[in-house]
Order: sequence, then structure tokens, then C-alpha cells
Amino acid sequence: MKFIENTKIKFMSFKKAGFALSATLGAGSLFLLMLGLNLGIDFKGGTAIGLSFTEEVSIQEIRTVMQSVSVQDQEFDLSKEEIKYFGSNKDVMIKINSQDNTPENFGQGIVNHIYESMPTKVPQDKNMFVLSLGAVSPKVGSELSGKAFWSIISALVLILFYISIRFEFKFAIGAILALVHDIIITLGIFSLTGYEITLSTVAAFLTIVGYSLNDTIVILDRVRENMKSSGTVLFESTINKSINQSLSRTLITSLTTLFVIVVLLIYGGEVIRPFAFTMFVGVIIGTYSSIYIASALLATIYKSSN
Amino acid sequence: MNNTLRTRLLSILFIFGLGIYALLPSIRYQLLSDDAKNNLSKDELAYFESKSIKQGLDLKGGIYIVLEVDLPQLVNTLAKNKDKNFDKFLDELSEEYKNSSTDFFTLFEEKALEKDLKLPRYFISYGKTKDQIIEQLNLQSADSINRIIEIIQNRVDQFGVSEPTIQKQGNNRVIVELAGVQDAERARDLLQSTALLELMIVKDVESTNTIVRQIDNLTSMDVEKTNDDVDQLFDTNNSDKNSLGFSSLLISVGSDLAISTSNLSKLQNILNQDNVKQVLDATGSLFLTSNSAATLINDFGEEEEVYLLYHLVDNAELTGGVIEDAQMRLSQSGVSAGQATVQVEMNNEGSREWARITGSNINKRIAIVLDKKVHMAPVIRSQIFGGGTVIEGLDSIQEAEDIAIVLRAGSLPVPVTIQEERTVGASLGADSVSSGAYSMLIGLLIVILFIIFYYRLSGLIASFAVIWTLILLLGILALLGATLTLPGIAGLILTVGMSVDANVIIFERIKEELRNGRSVRSAIDAGYQRAITTIVDANLTTGIAAAVLYQYGSGPIKGFATVLFWGIIVSMFTAIIVTRFIFDYVISKRNIEELSI
Repeated sequence: MKFIENTKIKFMSFKKAGFALSATLGAGSLFLLMLGLNLGIDFKGGTAIGLSFTEEVSIQEIRTVMQSVSVQDQEFDLSKEEIKYFGSNKDVMIKINSQDNTPENFGQGIVNHIYESMPTKVPQDKNMFVLSLGAVSPKVGSELSGKAFWSIISALVLILFYISIRFEFKFAIGAILALVHDIIITLGIFSLTGYEITLSTVAAFLTIVGYSLNDTIVILDRVRENMKSSGTVLFESTINKSINQSLSRTLITSLTTLFVIVVLLIYGGEVIRPFAFTMFVGVIIGTYSSIYIASALLATIYKSSN
Repeated sequence: MNNTLRTRLLSILFIFGLGIYALLPSIRYQLLSDDAKNNLSKDELAYFESKSIKQGLDLKGGIYIVLEVDLPQLVNTLAKNKDKNFDKFLDELSEEYKNSSTDFFTLFEEKALEKDLKLPRYFISYGKTKDQIIEQLNLQSADSINRIIEIIQNRVDQFGVSEPTIQKQGNNRVIVELAGVQDAERARDLLQSTALLELMIVKDVESTNTIVRQIDNLTSMDVEKTNDDVDQLFDTNNSDKNSLGFSSLLISVGSDLAISTSNLSKLQNILNQDNVKQVLDATGSLFLTSNSAATLINDFGEEEEVYLLYHLVDNAELTGGVIEDAQMRLSQSGVSAGQATVQVEMNNEGSREWARITGSNINKRIAIVLDKKVHMAPVIRSQIFGGGTVIEGLDSIQEAEDIAIVLRAGSLPVPVTIQEERTVGASLGADSVSSGAYSMLIGLLIVILFIIFYYRLSGLIASFAVIWTLILLLGILALLGATLTLPGIAGLILTVGMSVDANVIIFERIKEELRNGRSVRSAIDAGYQRAITTIVDANLTTGIAAAVLYQYGSGPIKGFATVLFWGIIVSMFTAIIVTRFIFDYVISKRNIEELSI
């Protein structure tokens, strides 16, 4: 069985178009990023509450209830906070930005208030009412963002180091820029869709980094091999040849990975969906960037240095 | 079969055997019915807990809390000769610390320097120079965090949670993970309550009246002053209400004072005013409210929720340190019969003190105060010997049990605050497990069908390798006693993907070699040889990402990184060694002219 064999696509002829596309996507993403990302409570601090009602509820109804919430003798108007359905119309997710002088156990106080205010629509056992409750102080939030930022940076630096040793520094530059490109565009898509960035999406980002890198290295490995055997051939054609040689692998692997991710997207449930979505976007962009960023940059660098 | 093939087969079988053996406890545990699980002896349970894969909070439900020592409060407790200057300094410092991730004592030092605060003035017992003092305060903080961990461990043990994890994070935080706990509200209270029991004398009615008048003067003066300034801005109704001051908030209930629930925050505001604090300090007085509200019919015939307000001597006669035992008891007699109480037994020293205190305060009232809330304030009728006392006024048996637990475990030396909390309800966890496992099976099935469809018999070999990758990976996780979280399941799925990728790289290479006209045997040799460098390079870089994640990540992400890291190693083993062996074995058996690939 074969889909593709002995292809001779001149990938590098479309190099400029590729750069232009990436530059546009990159610039667009950076612009969107400046408009803002939907940061989860992990990074911003705040309270997130998942509630499970026994029958369908309207968001408006909950907003009304949250107009005046009294927690430990302090009154709060929480009707403007983010409230949305979570899976079905019976389950809701409430996200509350961190407030000044939040009383102890703010989250539980809000849960208790809603539980008492909507007695006909909540289960008998209060523990069955609460799907999840997360609270992160602004301080821990800024620590977690710092950690996430540095984990991505240090992963990139270590990878740069590794490729420089195994290949050449020139290879490493292309590979790292491809990764930066992937992360920026994925972030841009997050900004566009309004998906929330949480700790597990950061895990997904790093998985994309690993995945895209896999792709890049498979191609670069071929380039290295072909460079050894054919010193005389023009560099751009060596790269074309290498991409074509590894093309079937690239497509089959991307395809099988996408199968699994699509299943996760459909059946994985609400909790894992943002993770699966990040991976979905990342796999597509990662495959593209191995060809049109990592390899194309390598061609450009070699051309200019000769 | 020649010798090298046999050795390879034996080593592969040995590793497969180890993988299955490591998984056995997990499988046996999963197969047990719920009843059987509950009937396990302690030893058996410990065996299963240490040998099988644990489910993380996000799968099993439970509560994860990061507690932080209230360091400003610790410093405040340790300081002597505190004055207005110091209070102000500490207020500003704790406000700044709330939003900063700098180490507290570094911030403390900077701020003290900036404000020109003479540390030896307040901390002379800890050293003469600034450096000595800061070092000693650091030691005190380290000491208190260790005591807090010990006490929380005690409380959790008595609460009866299986597999609790309690660990120190940095130098002032404690992470507590209680998997499977359903009642987060209860668990949180149990962890967080300081559990400081204080016995305090209630001041007499006369001195209470005096101090209420004094505070009234201060507060109404205040209001008049502000009224002068902003006369025009307030409508008269509003300012009238304010000018009534302190006593207008109070309601008399018998000989006690009470305050309506709606006025509690106003009360706190008044008590926090500097000039009111001064008056209270000067007379050694303290106002505290009761622990729970009572319903009262007010002058207008409406029901009103009120808290009793007590005027106490601001110096505990006795504290919880003398407690030897505390037990929940149902009250046997009197109006409170059948209600839950906590019976407290004191040690010898406490009993002697208690006898002295009760003896010298006959006919006065003594307040039993837990975490700054007055539970009861009975009149001392006679001297009490034997060191027993009872705490009444509890809402439920559960509350009484919890209070008994925290009293037995001891009080926290410093209050703690919750910095981070994640509670996952059991139902969400169960949903995640089933949908995670379900999608993994479907994904696996699709991938296997696809590679068999695409690579024929070789695809079958690859599928065999992928399935073994999963089994061995789960075996390693069981050996490590790792915790499987939702991102961990995602990691498993990713491992499947990588394992397939390694096989695809090899097969594509073999196909290419075949196209170049090589024989089956030499194409396989060359294909593996060339593919290996690619696979190793690609997987090692992913491994770097996994290692970094493990280093920086917290909780669930760590789980993901662990799975990813071991997944890389296992998938390289199955793709490079196991499938290679199968190819070599088949070729050694019969002469294959065309490879089904």
C-alpha cells in the first residue's frame, strides 16, 4: 500500500510564499496577542467553580443570583463575571477574577450562596453539586506564569544546545525559529478562539514543541545524510530531496497523530478538550513549519553564507 | 534458532515478563469489588497502594491545597514592645508581600531599611544586629513550618484519609493532597483552622458599659468631624444613622450584648480604628463574637439573626497547649441533652492552673474561645479540680468530632492561608476516567487498523509493538508508584503516537531500500540502521522537553512529563529491539522474497 512514492515536489521553490504566509500569520498572531489572551486562573489568580445542577439552568438566572453574594459578611456583586455552560445546559463553569481583600474560602462561600439561592435545581448532597473548585491567589498565579514561561524558554535553549552538538549551529537556528513560530501562531489561535490558557495547555505547548521538533529532525537528519553523500549538488535541491524522501513518513505520522487527537476532541470530555485542541492546531502548524520554516531557513542561511 | 536470536528472545521475554509482573497488583486491585476493597486489611492495602498505579485527584476526585504560613502574623507574634510605627510597617509589608513573589524576609529587610525601622528595638531577644535578627526569624519560620506539617499530618491521620500526601514546598508552604475526599468544605476547615483554644475571663457589666461609652464618644466624634467636612454631600438621614456610633449597633439580650448579622462588618470597622484600639489596649479589653448566630425577635416583631458579643480580658488564662485529650460526647442531661459537645481533658499542669483559675474567679464568667470565636461563657460556680471542661454550642456531631480532632492534634503555631486550591468532585473525576479511557481505546484501535491496512503484515508487527509499549509503560508507572492524572492519560496517547512514528520511520526506510533494489534481508538491515539515528535524535529532543516539564511543572504536569519520558524510552525499545527481532526471526525461518510492507 502506498499513497506517495518517489515524489519530486520542489518545496523550496515556494519558499518565499511560505515565508510570506508565516510572516502574515505570525504578525496577525502577535497583533491578536496584544489584544489579549484568555488566561486561566492558574496564571491570573482567581476562582473557578464548576457546578452541576439537577435540571437545565439559564446563565441569566445564575447571574441574577450572583448579583449580591455575601461571603463572611462582605457583599460582592459577581453578576459581571464569566459564566458559561460546561458540556451540557445543566453544568456551568464560573470564573471569578481575583478581588481585593478576598475573604477566606471565597469559592466555597459562593458555592454555598448559589446552593441556598436555587434550592429547587440543586442535588440534595452538596458534594454532588460541586464538580470542581479551583482557587489560586494572585501571588501563586504570577509564580506559575513565571514557571511556565521559563520552562518553555529553558526547553528551547536545551534543544538548541542539543541540535548544535548533534548537527550544526545553522541547523539549530532554523529548528528553534520553527518552534517559536509554532508557539506564536498557536497562541494567536488561542487568542482568536478565546480558549483558556491553563497549566495543561502549557503541557500541550511543550508537547507541540516536541512533536514539531520530531518532524524537523527527521528532515534535517536526511539533509545531513544527503549532504555527506552528494557534496556537489546545490543545497536547495538537497533539501527538496530530503523533504520528498521523508514526505510519506511525515504524512503518515501526522495522520495517525491527528486520528488520536480528533478522537480526544470528540470523546475526551470537557476537561481534556483544550489540551486536544492545542495539540490539533499544533500538529498541523508543526508539520508545516518543519518544511517551510526549519528547512527553508536552513536553505537561506546556507545560501547567504556561501 | 541460532544463539544470538535465542538470547535476544530471552531478554525480550524477560522484560515483557517484568512488565506483566509489575502490572499484576494494579490489575488485581482493579478486579476487586468495592466490598472487597473496603475489607482489605491495612497490610494488604499498603501493598496495593505501593505497588499499583494511583489515580490522581483529577481522576478520583479529591482536594489539593497549598497552605502558606502567615509570615507577617508570625513576625507580629514574635515582636515585643510593638508601637504604632511597627504596626504600620507590618501592615504595609504584608500588603506588599501579598502581591510579590520575593522571599518574605528579603522584603522585610528591604522595607525595614527603607523605613529606617530599628529591628533590635522589637526583637532584642533574637539578636542585637539586623542580620542576627533576620537569621533568627528565618529559623523561627522554618521551625513553625515543620511544626505545622507535623500537626496537619496528625489531623489528617485522625480524619481517616487513605493515601494523604503532605509535603513542604519552599520554606513557607505545605502542599496537602487528599485523594478521594468528598466533603471539601469539611476537609478545608480541618486543615486550615488554627485550633487555638483559649479560656478567657468575661469582664463585668459595669466595665463593659464604661468601655461602650468611651468608644461611643470616639466614634460619634469622628462622624461629626467628617460631617463638618462634607456636610453638603450627605443627606441628613444618612449622617444621623452614622452619628449614633457604637452603641446603636448593639442589642441587649438579657445581660449579654448582641449584634445583628448585617452589622458585623460595621462592628469590625469600628474595632479596627486606631483610637478604639488604643482604648481597648489601655484597658486590656477584647471584643469577640459568638461562633454561631442565634435568631431573635426584635422590637419590630421581626426575626433577626444576631451574634452575641463578649467583652473579655485580653489575656488568655489558659490555652490549648495543656490539652491531653479531647473527645466528642453527646450531652446527657439538662436542656442540651442529646447535643454534641467536646469533652476536654487537661494534663497535670493544666489541671492545677485550671483549679487555680476557677478557684479565684468564682461567680465570674469564663469564655471558652476557639479560634477567636466564643463558644460558651458559663459562670464559674465552684472551683474545678481534675482538669476537665466541656465545649458546648456546636451545630452538629460532625463539627464536634472535627473540633475534637484539631484539639487533640494541637494548635498551629501561626495561622495559615490558602494560596492555591483545586477540588475535583468525584463525579467529574469519574467522567474524566471513562471518557479518557474510552477515547484512548478508540484512538488505539483506529491507529492499529490504519497501520495494518497500510503496512500489511509489517503493520501487524508494529501493532504488536505499540500494544506492548502501552503494557510496559503502565508496568513502569506501577513500579514507580506514579500517579496517573488526566494529562497523564494524554501522555499515554501521545506515547502511542510516538511509538507508531518510530515504526513508520523504520518501515519507510526499509521500503526505500527495497526500491533501491536491495534484497529483503539487506533492506531490513540498512533500514533499521539508518532509521535508528533519526529515531534517537527525534526522541531525545522530545525527552529534553519532558525533563524540563518535570523539573518546572507542578502536580498534573509532572504526571504528564513522567509518562512522556518513560514512553519515549519504552517506545524506542519496542520499535528498535522488539520489531527487529521479529523481522530477523521470520527471515531466519524462511526465505522471504517479498516483504509484506
